[in-house]
Amino acid sequence: MLRPHDMCSVIVTGPKNVQESVIKELHNLQVLHIVDHSKNDLADIGTPLESANKLSEILVKVRALISALNIKTEDNEFELKKGLTNIGSNLKRLNDEVNIYQDELKKIQQIHAKNDSLIQELNLLKEIDVPLECFTAYKSLSYVKGYVKTEENALRGQLSKITDRFMLFYKIEKKGPFIVLFVDVKYKEQVNNLLQRSDFSPVNFANLNDHLSDLKGSASSNLRKLEEANNNLKKKIDYNKKRLELIGKESQGFLTAADSFLSEQLEKAEAPLKFASTPSSFLIKGWVPTEELHKSIERLNKVTKNKVFVHFEPPKKQDKVPIKLDNAKIAKPFEFFINLYSMPNYREIDPTFFIFLTFPIFFGIMLGDIGYGLVSLLSFWLLKKKLPKFGNFFNILMLASFVSILFGFLYGEIFGFEEIGHYHLWHLLSRSHDMFTLMYIVLGIGVIHVNIGLIIGFINIYNDHGLKMAIYEKASWIILEIGVALLALSFLNKIFIHPVIGAGFMAIAVIMIYKAEGVKGLMELPSIFTNILSYIRLMAIGLSSVTLAVIINESAEQLFHNGGFLVLVGVLIIVLGHILNIILGLFGSFLHSLRLHYVEFFSKFFHGGAEKYEPFGLKEE
Amino acid sequence: MVADISTGLIALGSGLAIGLSAIAAAIAEKEIGVAAIGAMAEKEELFGKGLVLTVIPETIVIFGLVVAILILNLAG
Repeated sequence: MLRPHDMCSVIVTGPKNVQESVIKELHNLQVLHIVDHSKNDLADIGTPLESANKLSEILVKVRALISALNIKTEDNEFELKKGLTNIGSNLKRLNDEVNIYQDELKKIQQIHAKNDSLIQELNLLKEIDVPLECFTAYKSLSYVKGYVKTEENALRGQLSKITDRFMLFYKIEKKGPFIVLFVDVKYKEQVNNLLQRSDFSPVNFANLNDHLSDLKGSASSNLRKLEEANNNLKKKIDYNKKRLELIGKESQGFLTAADSFLSEQLEKAEAPLKFASTPSSFLIKGWVPTEELHKSIERLNKVTKNKVFVHFEPPKKQDKVPIKLDNAKIAKPFEFFINLYSMPNYREIDPTFFIFLTFPIFFGIMLGDIGYGLVSLLSFWLLKKKLPKFGNFFNILMLASFVSILFGFLYGEIFGFEEIGHYHLWHLLSRSHDMFTLMYIVLGIGVIHVNIGLIIGFINIYNDHGLKMAIYEKASWIILEIGVALLALSFLNKIFIHPVIGAGFMAIAVIMIYKAEGVKGLMELPSIFTNILSYIRLMAIGLSSVTLAVIINESAEQLFHNGGFLVLVGVLIIVLGHILNIILGLFGSFLHSLRLHYVEFFSKFFHGGAEKYEPFGLKEE
Repeated sequence: MVADISTGLIALGSGLAIGLSAIAAAIAEKEIGVAAIGAMAEKEELFGKGLVLTVIPETIVIFGLVVAILILNLAG
């Protein structure tokens, strides 16, 4: 329970001709955590099985289709007819069909986009009564199109000073005044100069120029034709999209099933990349939980007709053993916190069980309200139904909410009220009134928790480096605490011993810490007390939550007394206020409870950093 | 409720003790938090370590709280 699963180091060797059946069996067994071989003088890494190329080729196609058809890969009960040729031919048919619609769609979309920009250009020329075929090159006539900043009359005036042989169309557009100006080619330069002075920015109708040869008549008549054409194209686009959507729906089952089947096959086919290999043999190194060992060897021998050799031995001290946590079912959800932090080393104590004991209590001390506990319990229960994937996480929160309800009874609090109607709720300790009592209690909890951490640390070091180091490194801190406590109590005249005794304890502890950890240890000396003080947050966060709840209740109560419309406002304040306070309380209680474990508790014993046990063939949840 | 100026000053003192230490902790946590998020973006497994490092300065507020409580207590 307090230790990870026992592991055995395993080496499997055999001739190449049984490699595939060994891989298949290991994949089924789901027990071997393979350690990747890295190339050395003795052996290279293996080459993938023959099928790997073909598999990855098909898999790429499947995934391309999945992304092209916008398919969400979720679990389904599609029965896949296994076998590569089957999947391959189905896939080809599907791919061809999708390609037809996609090509068509792409073509139409291109035309549609082109028409769209043409429409935009024509819109500018819509009210200008000049046939489009006139926008061409002339010998005696020059024309410009673009935006200016001058007013129409002013522009006309300035132009007529140059010549009267011009024709100006002027209209106001979103970007400013737009002009089309035809002028005798002799005055081209003068006109250009004039326009430049009035910030002329020419517009080049790229699309229009491309299509000038097939556009006849006025801009507005062409516009109408183009819009009509685009409406038809839009219908075609929608039709193609709908077809693709339909195909996606029909083939969702097949594609997801094919994806997971092929990924699994590919994992097997590429497994030899992790093995050591010679031209005619292979060698797999890895780890197997000890209780699975003999069954696994038997199975391997059976499928290979005793052609493989399996060597196994218990882990050596310097081995990097992958960790499979081993906890009772009830504490299992709390492995989530260990996963989030770091796996304990093989020889360390796994703190999951301790987190299971103390996390909900800390959470409860902080949230501690019957009403808040019930609301959060209910919401996490509903969320768990909705998102079964995160079931473990919600189990933790549900347990924590339940403990909050218990503490709510101890504090006699329901939604911040200490009485309902005129009935005063029984309480063991009222948080808002006996704040200091609660503070001393949580400090006591801090002392206990930190010392449990030190004791676990003591055991860890005792197992690793022996008793002497354990006493120097961990027991020294406990002696330091005793020394400080004796010194403080004797100064406060609570106990009648000479202060020197306390100081002596402290001195011994400091020397031990210096011997064990050097100067770094001395610098860390105050940390044990800041760690314990840190547990005051258990009181402080709860207190802030209660105070907020009381403020919400009191401000709503005042509104209720005023009556009328204000009653509604009061109800709103109560509902929204408490929802907000619950959310804040949940966040605060969760994070701070977690922090007390990660920082104050773990720092006393936890090293971690080990790899997680991930057996070959087991799908990630 | 009638309170004389000394009560007000005591309240002000303990308020400052908490408020200023909270600002200090916030500034410290900001810097660490930014770095932690950056590290997590590179390597998601660092969440646990990032959280631990980020919340270390919180102790400053706890000290502020202790001082505030002491001020209130000593003043009676």
